Amino acid sequence: MVRNANRSYERRLIAAMAIYVVIMMMIWPLARGESNVWLKAVYALAPVPPMIYVIWLMARRIMRSDELEQRTHMIGLGVSAAVVSVVSLVSGFLAAANVLTLDVTATILLWIFPLLMFTYGGVRTYAARRYGSNGCDEDEAMPLYIRFLVLAGLFCAVGAYVYFHAHDERASSFALGMASALVAGAIYFAVRRWRKRRAAE
Amino acid sequence: MNNRLRELRDRHSWSQGELADRLDVSRQTVNAIETGKYDPSLPLAFRIAKLFRMSIESIFEPGKG
Repeated sequence: MVRNANRSYERRLIAAMAIYVVIMMMIWPLARGESNVWLKAVYALAPVPPMIYVIWLMARRIMRSDELEQRTHMIGLGVSAAVVSVVSLVSGFLAAANVLTLDVTATILLWIFPLLMFTYGGVRTYAARRYGSNGCDEDEAMPLYIRFLVLAGLFCAVGAYVYFHAHDERASSFALGMASALVAGAIYFAVRRWRKRRAAE
Repeated sequence: MNNRLRELRDRHSWSQGELADRLDVSRQTVNAIETGKYDPSLPLAFRIAKLFRMSIESIFEPGKG
């Protein structure tokens, strides 16, 4: 039952993230050129529903987890909340003292959710390993290296789109840099999985 | 806390996955309990005891920690 729930979660998560990327590439850019405020707001907020759906998926997954899994989720969420709080405080104080220049009008806010999720994912994985999960269990709905490759593919698509359609070299370089890092991570996790499986045989 | 979960599971010839399905938990949770990395909650301990038709104290006993 738990395994089926995880598989369903992975499928829905990937679908939601794919829709999010499509909206970010096709709909969100329309907001900058729109003069009608209401329509501009609709375009600007278009990426939010898939993200709310992802948050709902995560909440449902945690609610359906067993007690040990809930503990690791709570550790991940607690530590990620602490990390985001500290990063916000440090960068906020530095910006207030003019030591650091932050684009507080918009883009800095967009980084809060990804930072929270990346920290949560990393800490949750670490906590699960402390309780004996080895990262290449057959219970894993989707191996870590596949997840990294899917993310790398998304970043590649975004990078290519931004380069060819928006002609923003900085943004496309960032996206392709992220994709490269994710591919490197995927190779690392794939090799580690292969070695562990071979050792277990 | 020490426990006899692995011994009892072996006695029934169940894999960790089979026991996990019977207890409605993940295989990792069964593994964590067996290896002493995680102490189950009282409701889960009761479910384990009921499954093996034993008392909780005959399966779990206080460890040194």
